[in-house]
Amino acid sequence: TVSRQSKNLMQLVYGQPEMITTIQEAQTGSGSEDSEDDEFFKPKGEGDRKSSKGTTSNSLGAEDCSKYTSQINLKDWSSEDLVQSIRDRFVTGDWSK
Amino acid sequence: MGKTAYKRLKGEQQFRQRLVLATLSGTPILIEDIRPDETSPGLRPHEVSLLRLVETISDDCSVEINDTGTKLRYKPGVVMGGKHLDHDCGLSRSIGYFLEPLIVLSLFGKKSLSIRLKGITNDPKDPSVDTFRTTTLHMLKHFGVSLEGLELKIESRGVPPLGGGEVVLGVPIVQNSLSATEWVDEGMVKRIRGVAFSTKVSPQFGNRMVYAARGIFNRFIPDVHIFIDHKSGTSGGRSPGYGISLVAETTSGCLISADAAVCFTKEDMEHFEDSEEKPELSPPEDFGVQVASMLLGEIEQGGVVDSTHQGLLFLLCALCPQDVSKVRVGKLTPYAIETLRNIRDFLGVKFVINPEPTTNTVMLKCVGCGLKNLSRKTS
Repeated sequence: TVSRQSKNLMQLVYGQPEMITTIQEAQTGSGSEDSEDDEFFKPKGEGDRKSSKGTTSNSLGAEDCSKYTSQINLKDWSSEDLVQSIRDRFVTGDWSK
Repeated sequence: MGKTAYKRLKGEQQFRQRLVLATLSGTPILIEDIRPDETSPGLRPHEVSLLRLVETISDDCSVEINDTGTKLRYKPGVVMGGKHLDHDCGLSRSIGYFLEPLIVLSLFGKKSLSIRLKGITNDPKDPSVDTFRTTTLHMLKHFGVSLEGLELKIESRGVPPLGGGEVVLGVPIVQNSLSATEWVDEGMVKRIRGVAFSTKVSPQFGNRMVYAARGIFNRFIPDVHIFIDHKSGTSGGRSPGYGISLVAETTSGCLISADAAVCFTKEDMEHFEDSEEKPELSPPEDFGVQVASMLLGEIEQGGVVDSTHQGLLFLLCALCPQDVSKVRVGKLTPYAIETLRNIRDFLGVKFVINPEPTTNTVMLKCVGCGLKNLSRKTS
């Protein structure tokens, strides 16, 4: 299973070229349906919001920022279980393991 | 002159990496559809400023932008470096945004670089200048860059929205190329250091932040020292704010960092001007606990660098000579994944990525693209 896992991770990063193209085609198909005549005059901002929700590639690199900001749900490190879980990552931890 | 073959790209994503990789690999690029559907389309002020910065440090490069700014043609030149340069980074992004590409580019310059950057030194979005000084610059030594001449001096601080900070960056050039690294031992945390800064607020803010952060670390390790840097007068910039940058040093010499800052946004400032009430920033105690928790989160993840530096780490590995580099990181961030894709597109370097379920870390291996410093004067 380890080899399969590593393959999956590489696929997640680099992807399979055939898969990507089919996804894009499907999205353009649905997009043309949306833009029927009653939405002829559409504010620029809204169109962008729609597309950024749809495509993952857009939302991934939306903000050019190396800091990983989705750490908003920070853990409460005063809880004893959590403290024990990273105890051994410190020199003060248990060395015998 | 013959026609230049441009590599065609779309969208505004990963602008900095595309620029760096295009320059280092000598690939002219044509980016289309830069925010075409937004109310204010085209390149943002900080992106234009970055292009100007690249022009400043290089020779014979050409940048063409169309009227709306949605299309960019960039033909890289030779990175020259140079002494006593000057650049205003503007106020739309902090200096950290510019430092990341600038450091990598100037390593492969003709002469070593020394440049004064003006703008925002600390903000909530980008890595702060303190983190660059304590962590990012030290990463380079694992790739054979001498620490001599590699420095970042913080002359004054500036937080959003008005900035007013100034730093001086010095980067040496690599003589021939970087050297491949096998950097997999993360070691154990032996000490925690940090800088807590405050500017245009009560000097007590620093102490209160540090006290709260230390309270969290006390359960783990006694060797905690956080310096307090209070700025006043002109060296404190033009806006009030405070922040903290923490670094955990491990027994194997890895540095794991976390930083954040608190300040007002532009909208806040405008709002406060109308009302009589004095604006207040959130309490420094909560903030100290928050950043300390962020650092513990990074330590829990494992890996030889923190999540912020993953992208830079992979980039440096890919720029190594044709030798195997091996690194260990925690969970891959979206930015790091985009970096890996860009590296493949520009340099043709593909990493072998192996998760290690026992430690919840990821091992990455690659053979560098063999980039040599060709700008350097050959005698």
